[in-house]
Amino acid sequence: QSTISGSVKSQGNGEALPGVTVVVKGTTVGTTTDGDGRFSITTSRANPVLSFSFIGFEPQEIAIENQSTLDVLLAPSTTQLSEIVVTALGIAKQERTLGYVTQKIDNANLTTARETNLVSQLAGKIAGVTVVNSPSGIGGSARVTIRGERSLNINANQPLFVIDGMPINNNVVGASGRNNQEADYGNGAGFVNPDDIETMTVLKGPSASALYGSRAANGVIVITTKSGKNAKGIGVSVNSNTTFDQVLRLPDYQNRYGQGLNGEFAFVNGSGGGLRDGVDENWGPLLDGRLIAQFDSPTSNGFRGGDTRVAGGAGTITPTPFNAYPNNIRDFFEVGRTLSNNVAVTGNNDKGDFRLSYTNLNQTGIVPNTDLQRNSFNLNAGYNLTERLNVRSNVSYIKNTSGNRPSLSYGTENIMYLFNCWFGRQIDMASLRNYWQPGLEGIQQFNYNYNYHDNPYFNVYENTNAQDMDRIIGNITLSYQLTDWLKVQARSQMDFQSEIRERQRAFSTQRFPFGSFRRENVNTLERNTDLLLLADKTINPDFSLNATLGGNQRSNKYDYIDVFAPQLTVPGVYSLNNSRVPVEYSQNKSERRVNSIFGSAQLTYRNYLSLEVTGRNDWSSTLTLPNGVVGSADNSYFYPSASLSAVISDIIKLPSAISFLKLRAGWAQVGNDTDPYQFSQPFSPLTPWGTTPTFGESTRIPNFSLKPEISTSQEFGLDLRFFQNRLGLDVTYYRSNSRNQIIFLPLTNTTGYSSIVTNAGSIFNNGVEVMLNLTPIRRDDLGLRWDVNVNFSSNRSKVLELTDGISTYQLASRYVSVEARVGERMGDMYGNIYQRVSADPTSPYYDPTGRYVGQVVVSGNGRPERDPTPQKLGNYNPDWLAGISSSVSYKGFNLNFLFDHRQGGKIYSHTYVVGREGGQLIETLEGRENGYYNNPSDPTFLNAPAGTYYVVPGVVKTSDGQFAENTRRISAREWHSAFTLGRSVIEGAMFDATFTKLREIRMGYTVPNKVLGPKSPVRNINLSLVGRNLFLWTKVPHIDPESSSMSGGTIIPGSESVAIPSTRSYGVNLSFNL
Amino acid sequence: CDKDFEQINTNPNVPNAVTPNLLLPNIIRSGANELVGTGWSIGNIVIQHTAKIQFVNEDRYLWGNINGIWNTTYGNLRELENMYTIASNSVPVQRNYQGIALVMKSWYIALATDCYGDLPYSEAILGKTGVTSPKYDTQEEIYNKLLADLETANGLLSPSNEAIQGDILFNGNALRWKKMANSLRLRYLMRISKKKDVKAAMQAILSNPTANPIFESNADQAALKYLPTVPNQFPTYTYRVGSIDEFRLSKTMEDRLKAYNDPRITVFARPTVASAAAGNPTYAGIPNGLDDVSALVYNGGAQNLSRIGTAYYIDGFGTPSDRELGIAQGMFMSYAELQFILAEAAQKGLITGDAKAYYEKGVKASFDYYGLTLPSNYLTQPALAYDPAKALEQIGTQKWIALFFSGLEAWFDWRRTGYPALQPGVSNLNNNRIPVRFIYPTSEYSLNKASVEAAIQRQGPDNINTKVWWEK
Repeated sequence: QSTISGSVKSQGNGEALPGVTVVVKGTTVGTTTDGDGRFSITTSRANPVLSFSFIGFEPQEIAIENQSTLDVLLAPSTTQLSEIVVTALGIAKQERTLGYVTQKIDNANLTTARETNLVSQLAGKIAGVTVVNSPSGIGGSARVTIRGERSLNINANQPLFVIDGMPINNNVVGASGRNNQEADYGNGAGFVNPDDIETMTVLKGPSASALYGSRAANGVIVITTKSGKNAKGIGVSVNSNTTFDQVLRLPDYQNRYGQGLNGEFAFVNGSGGGLRDGVDENWGPLLDGRLIAQFDSPTSNGFRGGDTRVAGGAGTITPTPFNAYPNNIRDFFEVGRTLSNNVAVTGNNDKGDFRLSYTNLNQTGIVPNTDLQRNSFNLNAGYNLTERLNVRSNVSYIKNTSGNRPSLSYGTENIMYLFNCWFGRQIDMASLRNYWQPGLEGIQQFNYNYNYHDNPYFNVYENTNAQDMDRIIGNITLSYQLTDWLKVQARSQMDFQSEIRERQRAFSTQRFPFGSFRRENVNTLERNTDLLLLADKTINPDFSLNATLGGNQRSNKYDYIDVFAPQLTVPGVYSLNNSRVPVEYSQNKSERRVNSIFGSAQLTYRNYLSLEVTGRNDWSSTLTLPNGVVGSADNSYFYPSASLSAVISDIIKLPSAISFLKLRAGWAQVGNDTDPYQFSQPFSPLTPWGTTPTFGESTRIPNFSLKPEISTSQEFGLDLRFFQNRLGLDVTYYRSNSRNQIIFLPLTNTTGYSSIVTNAGSIFNNGVEVMLNLTPIRRDDLGLRWDVNVNFSSNRSKVLELTDGISTYQLASRYVSVEARVGERMGDMYGNIYQRVSADPTSPYYDPTGRYVGQVVVSGNGRPERDPTPQKLGNYNPDWLAGISSSVSYKGFNLNFLFDHRQGGKIYSHTYVVGREGGQLIETLEGRENGYYNNPSDPTFLNAPAGTYYVVPGVVKTSDGQFAENTRRISAREWHSAFTLGRSVIEGAMFDATFTKLREIRMGYTVPNKVLGPKSPVRNINLSLVGRNLFLWTKVPHIDPESSSMSGGTIIPGSESVAIPSTRSYGVNLSFNL
Repeated sequence: CDKDFEQINTNPNVPNAVTPNLLLPNIIRSGANELVGTGWSIGNIVIQHTAKIQFVNEDRYLWGNINGIWNTTYGNLRELENMYTIASNSVPVQRNYQGIALVMKSWYIALATDCYGDLPYSEAILGKTGVTSPKYDTQEEIYNKLLADLETANGLLSPSNEAIQGDILFNGNALRWKKMANSLRLRYLMRISKKKDVKAAMQAILSNPTANPIFESNADQAALKYLPTVPNQFPTYTYRVGSIDEFRLSKTMEDRLKAYNDPRITVFARPTVASAAAGNPTYAGIPNGLDDVSALVYNGGAQNLSRIGTAYYIDGFGTPSDRELGIAQGMFMSYAELQFILAEAAQKGLITGDAKAYYEKGVKASFDYYGLTLPSNYLTQPALAYDPAKALEQIGTQKWIALFFSGLEAWFDWRRTGYPALQPGVSNLNNNRIPVRFIYPTSEYSLNKASVEAAIQRQGPDNINTKVWWEK
């Protein structure tokens, strides 16, 4: 045994280099240099070879012959492309040898200006990545897609998330509660703690991810966790983050008219007993301070007007001034607060290393009484049992609880349904704060309207959607170095999640008059075990080989139990024991298994030419016919890939301005299986009739000759750098074709069934990604540096074919219909539009004079007419996306900001549609600028003064078949619902979703350790002011164009439906080491 | 590499096979729910039992797609096909379940064709055998088939066959299913009586009551009594009060009941809130088809208009009384309706019998159903005393009253007979025509385009004013 010690310095300026990785080649023994660049390493090998590597420097290997001390000089990397990238299966490779593009985010970009959902953090930072957040506020789900929509199954377009080489679960489980109980409980990857992440690497295309086989079609996001490997001795790091959230944008409400109808309102019982007091719309009196009886006016018995059920009666209401409360909705929201504190202890010696981390996240949302508490524990430890045998384990325990997550969707359980559509402009929000009627606490809520709505405070404080989740993600890896160049590795990972959700509804809730209680238990398990043989061999000075051979078994289990007490006996007791009627329940469990063998080989010539080929074969249980079913089984499928990388600048002499040029090309074929149990047509239990059970057949027809989906892709790219890398351009073009997609082809229900499972489709997808890096200022002597990074991407997906006889397939529907049509783009949205005058002689709306062609046709009653054939209204995908970030550092100061721009794409706004019907939005002043015209004997407003009616712009067809300008006057209220013809014309509510956001800003100062002095126990103090989503520029009215809607666990892009407002957040981040 | 995969991919959650008794309850319940739901939102409005004071589109005949009956029908035809097949494959064959399947199948398809006209039927429910674009049969073909099926059902059903379980309608009484089959035959024969000579068929049923039993009292009729608690309550019991109160007593109904001094108004509606508060409870309706503003301000507003009767909506979501459960039922076919059919048939000479007696039994049965005593002077009023000269109008009007909130049956009758005489809604948006049809679902145009277009070619434009075959 010998011990070698020494120091590592930079060849450039001679400064000591801390943190350099030192490894005894052919063993698992390694260490890192300390703060003074010193190391010490023990090995039993005779004539060992030590390898030194450090980011930004060329790696070096030194053969030791009887030395015990060694001083090493590392040369700064000229290309910066000795950079190491973590690729599929967690295998680290030099970026310059890769034939595909990857992009990386480091820890500082995740933890300083943070999002609760890790996935949301990707927005704007990675070219080609689109992030859509759910409409649910804190800790909600986020949907990420890379390089566009490839599959006809809208839920199958998300990438795979991998931690330390092994996949984790990223499901959105059962977000849809039945019976008006939709809430979002987060997506799997959103629970990963950013403080424990070293880097996130995005493997964008199938070439990069082909080794993951059937789950690779949409790219892979590889998360590498922090470890103690780079620590020296025992160290402690602390990160503390405090941010505040405010509503980013609320609709522009009108403030001239209050609740009521036709200018009239007076409260008696909020249920039609007074003057228009059952009406929940804002077509009431002018908000001019006139005295009107209201729900919060005092009564002769000392109650409030809305105390309708108090014993003995509330008495007579004394009218109070009818005034606008322009900020009443804004006042409802609170300042959200997020505290996130992390402390991590690391240790390292030549035998092993560890990192133990604890993070506490404590968050309250902008919606009162919504919160999130998350405690994350992580232990990442490795130990060299012998020089050749290493064991490493990484275990995270995440405890996530929420007392209440906001309810979603268009309906009474969602406060935004109330606020954006139906809330009186005259309501003082403070009057609703005390939300029980006196003496009826727990039994009867107090509200301004008893016909349709719940008091919003009652809603958020009493009707809660709680969550209590435990999750363990853990792996253990054993690796044995067989020879200098060959290693065998066995590892197993488990991701287990157990979650309880409890939804309480109090007595007197509109939809749950006797309250209700629902308890769901969701358990998911994913287990992966693999065995790998890894070779890294320098064959001769020209050739080196990096190869892998392995096998994997993946197992998924899912168990869901839902028990529902639809009514309660005793108010306020939320237990299944308290059900007033028999409880309802359902259970669903499923299991799947995939077995795989795979291999890859990368041959590199002179470190500038690399060819990599991979192959993987999967066998999937979900494509296996169950016992007793006859069909043609095809559960085995093979995925090959090949990629080539050439560093041209090392091969031929280029002009001196070009410091680096690499070309790359890749081809891959990957595929996909389907969900379990597609080969059965069962009968499912329906709600029993009392004690009589009843069943119904599944409406989906199975297909007993289902084949796996196949997606073939190519990508070509170049990485070009100028002027000593101060200008870099990376361009990738990719294309892919997905065939044999497994879809549920809809059938006319006259067949008895709703869909048939089938292989169909051919989707062509192509696009370009550009990354531009610019360093306008780099003055190492002054410690000044300015970097600018631009990410640009543009993607187009086209439907080439579906299946015989089918030219249209509906992917999703929420007010607009998202359809795949042959020859059209993926993401196209369809809906009805206005009828227009036609230039086509066969049209009943043909205008031979041509004068009115294109004008909206108005019917005799003054409303626009509907074109009965649904038309394409646009595409929800952007034309292009760009992220622009800038980073300036000067000595210890740094300033970073990130702008995120989305160009094009359309969004439908349900807030806009219903907010106009309800007279809420500013647009609804149109037609009542000068008030209402109340003359029942003049229903067509013939003698009405201007500004008290509206005339729809368009033409009417006259009796002689000609057209004439429409002059028919209609009331403001009629117009603002006729503009969508009662929600049947979508055209007027589609908007260009282009926006720019100031996504992130970070301003920080790192106190130089010199200032602290050598004896200071505290080092590397950094203090940053941070902000996210501070500003939004867009032409979309009222809403954040990033909004989506959610339906049954699917986030539907392109359709906004009364979303909880998104937030702007700002705060402070402090980090230091001990 | 795929060891145990067959086992892993076998669904453990639900069965792949069931017995007929497990299918039957939902077949009955969903039909009844659909009758109540569409009856409430459209049936009562178009036939002017009720009228709207807010969100008045339906009342102004601005009807979009009304797909409930379509979807419920085809969903249940699937279950009925399954039930019939399972019963046929049993050893011994379960003839009662076969018979029930044919009765319910005929009831469903008749309901749907009366709403839409031509429909997929002979090629429907064959998705599993690859028929994905079923052709539309003419209404005449559909009626021929369903009448034959009902006759077959009458032959299959017998108390001496296997015991019937899961029967939430008749509690396993095969004779009552038999009576329903024959009573429905009379209903549907009358429905097509303008197009076909149904005299012999109707008379044949009546001439042999042993072979062809029909309803003999209210106790026989096909009415689903809902359970007092969720989730099997009368559907409107769970609506929000605001949604319920958009619907008020129609002035057409008010005028008619008041003219006859008919106490059934106390069941159909409640005294206005204002009049009750003033200690002088009175009933008041609102004309159908007013524009939104006029509807809300009519007669001084909602306080002065009668809400729906207490049996159909329990304030405060309370528990219905037994009397209320007996009124708010899922009415497949009532005994009173049968009596009015017989009265009309006798009056028209389609059957032999005493038209007046049938008419009076129908009125009496309706009063009995609502737990009311028929006032002794009711049928002696000049307008109501049976008069052969205006008998068809008298029968039609009484039938219309007796069919209050019973789905769409009153609308079908009005389309056939023109009774009672109705005026289109005041500010209607349908050129002064009362709609006579539902339009086909939009999905048919994307999923079964050629078939639906062939039907339209034959039947007439797909709009709410195209008459179906039996009405032409």
